[in-house]
Amino acid sequence: MALADFLITLLTFVTVYSLFGLGLNVKYGFTGLVDFGHVAYFMVGAYVTVVLTMPAEVAGYAGIGGLNLPAVFGALFPGGALVGWFVGIAGGMVAAAATSLLVGVPTLRLREDYLAITALGIATILNAVFENEEWLFNGPYGVQSVYEPLGDLFPLGLGSFTLNMVVLGGLSVLLFLVAGYAVVQHARRAGRRMRLLLGGLVALFVLWYFVQPVLAGGGMVAFERNLMWLFDPTAGQTGGLDYDRFLLLFATGLLAVAYWWVERTVNSPYGRVLRAVRDDEDVPKALGKQTYRYKIQAMMFGSALAGAAGALWAIQLGFISPEQFAPTLTFFAFTAVIIGGTANNKGVILGTAAFWLINSGTRFLNDYIPSEYSVQLAAARLMLIGVLLVVILYYRPEGILGEQDYTVNVPEDDAGGPGSLGGLVGGGDGD
Amino acid sequence: MVSTGLLDAIATGLVTGSIIAAGALGLSLIYSIAEVPNFAHGDMITIGAYLALVLNKPGAIPFLPDAVPFVGSVSLWLAGIVGVGLAAALAASYELSVFRHFRRKDADLITMVIVSLGLALVLRNVVLFLAGSKNITYATDPVRDVFWDAYLTDYGLTIQLTQRRAGDIVTLDQWGYAWWLVALVLLAAVGVGYGVYRRRSAGAEFDVVHLVDPRILAVGAGLATLLVLAYLLRFQAGTVSDPLASTRVGTSWKDGTVVVLTGLAMFVLNVLLKTTRLGKAMRATADNLDLAEVRGVDVDRVQLVVWVVAGFLAALAGVLAGWSASNINPNMGFSLLLPVFAAVIMGGIRSPYGSALAGLVIGFSMDLGVHFLPPSLAVYREAIAFVILVGVLLVKPEGLWGDV
Repeated sequence: MALADFLITLLTFVTVYSLFGLGLNVKYGFTGLVDFGHVAYFMVGAYVTVVLTMPAEVAGYAGIGGLNLPAVFGALFPGGALVGWFVGIAGGMVAAAATSLLVGVPTLRLREDYLAITALGIATILNAVFENEEWLFNGPYGVQSVYEPLGDLFPLGLGSFTLNMVVLGGLSVLLFLVAGYAVVQHARRAGRRMRLLLGGLVALFVLWYFVQPVLAGGGMVAFERNLMWLFDPTAGQTGGLDYDRFLLLFATGLLAVAYWWVERTVNSPYGRVLRAVRDDEDVPKALGKQTYRYKIQAMMFGSALAGAAGALWAIQLGFISPEQFAPTLTFFAFTAVIIGGTANNKGVILGTAAFWLINSGTRFLNDYIPSEYSVQLAAARLMLIGVLLVVILYYRPEGILGEQDYTVNVPEDDAGGPGSLGGLVGGGDGD
Repeated sequence: MVSTGLLDAIATGLVTGSIIAAGALGLSLIYSIAEVPNFAHGDMITIGAYLALVLNKPGAIPFLPDAVPFVGSVSLWLAGIVGVGLAAALAASYELSVFRHFRRKDADLITMVIVSLGLALVLRNVVLFLAGSKNITYATDPVRDVFWDAYLTDYGLTIQLTQRRAGDIVTLDQWGYAWWLVALVLLAAVGVGYGVYRRRSAGAEFDVVHLVDPRILAVGAGLATLLVLAYLLRFQAGTVSDPLASTRVGTSWKDGTVVVLTGLAMFVLNVLLKTTRLGKAMRATADNLDLAEVRGVDVDRVQLVVWVVAGFLAALAGVLAGWSASNINPNMGFSLLLPVFAAVIMGGIRSPYGSALAGLVIGFSMDLGVHFLPPSLAVYREAIAFVILVGVLLVKPEGLWGDV
């Protein structure tokens, strides 16, 4: 397997978990809700989407039958299959949000810690239900049939091998150039230590991704394949874009939409109320906001994003089963959000990338340690994460990037700056 | 042929409830005094169970150095005491190395929640790292269950003490009570209980602090009367064929020990809280930390004691749970976390007594639930605790006994 394929898998992973983390950030970062059951919505989203888009009869599946939405919509109008899948993911998001409503209603009027324990409880119990009830979603055997949106189009080629290579390879190089430019721009503005850090990271990446495969005997072919990462020469007759690469682009697109959506939300007067709820709930309450309602909405919004992430995660893995949704995923997401910077959407992506780099980056140790110690290695990794969580909370509770800036337009006569509580009065919504 | 029934579920529930109560008592102290919603509490329970293993069955922990001279297989009693002590010392280290620093920084509740979560991750994986994920049992003599078979006949109540030996049921002993005697004994028990209650609560002013609440004392006295009279007045057994009703309760002295030990721990804690200066300081800190500090209470010391006591109780719960279920695994504490939290919230976060009582209630509910629900739902024992938790949050979020 070329390194490019590994990079694509890792990036897809980071993208999906970033989406998951964005959902958590809406709850924890911006609204201050400690939802220890975040993985439950991930699970519900994955299952509901998969079942909605699955054919009615699947061998080895004894759960609630599939609705086969892509085929239903595909029969109605051209391109309907994709619409059907989007209806499916919307269903997954709605189901996730509805589940979170069940958690939120009894707990959100109360102190923060009640939510934490109730959410952890529902995540544990829902997982047990999915595991034990075969009539529901096939129990421990999981669902093997996951619909791949647009899957029949791939591998996608433009005709000849050269054309594919030039277009897709050129696109890959272009993306590298854009990324490099962004890094340089960032380094210019940053301080000396940051520059050193960035330089080191880029050098490390170049060494690992370009130099090492060439030296390892891959020659120029390995270099070219890694440089033109979007182009898969083995896909189809003439090479082209295979489904894994497309999925990365697709997931990135969805992440971008979600990012934009969350950014819009937190930069609006509505987001200002959410932050006020987080900082001191009594203040927005005193200004007539029904904070309970805001908290429920934030909870549902964040859970819906987690549900969408679950749907993508199902496509990437190709099958889903309850044990993939262990409570540790929630704690990973918390760690990622806290590393990157609580209440910072860029920080979520950065933190998720950093977290999975550490987690997957240490996987090469598996090759050096006898396999009977694999449990120990996994445990040591999680111990490290636990320690990291506590250390970051103590020494740098704001994370790497710190809380983001907000662009909320505050009327001129308000004394306070953007994001200050003074602006709350302006954003009335009739509550 | 008799089969187990409601009474058996109640007896099992009493054991489950005692273990949950011990966990809940410690958690409620941490919750109210240290103000940490401690998500690591479940893993403190696990750690306690494993620490007893160090002396009891060192072979089960592969990473333990073999060369340590005094490590050998000692009886669970000693190993348990040492393990619980070690766990209490470890709990002190959590306070000293983690929570004290966060308190100095005035960390808010959310931060504390996540810090305790980090601690939980570390603790659970230390266990996985050192001992692996397999199921382990303590090295103890096997304890055989004794069945108490009760038959209600025209004559009265007949008790048969039986035991399963090599596949056969052997009757160890049997005795009976005539109807009038049953009525008399019950009447006497209720009478004694009521009398004790009247006597203890007579002339009670609001400022009188009872060492033991009169209600609890009354229930205890009534039960004691019942047991003593039932023991003394054993008469000849009646016939057991064709009974009106019959039931079987399977217990062992293990169960009795669990209940007695947790009861004892609770009583000692009760004495500590109500009669000593330290206990007064603890209660004052729970009420208002700043005010207590202003009045000269050494808050740091109080917090340290709270963690030690909580670690002690958690480890006790862990050892007892591992012993009574004959199974220790890294997940055991986590599966108790939800019932323990449910008990604390049900009892009222600020009320250790309420938490202990609620722990019993939740233990009963879990086992009675398993008894009444169809067998396919038996895997959802924890879910019963969860349902109670949500019910309490909806109806009475401050807990049923929301006062210290």
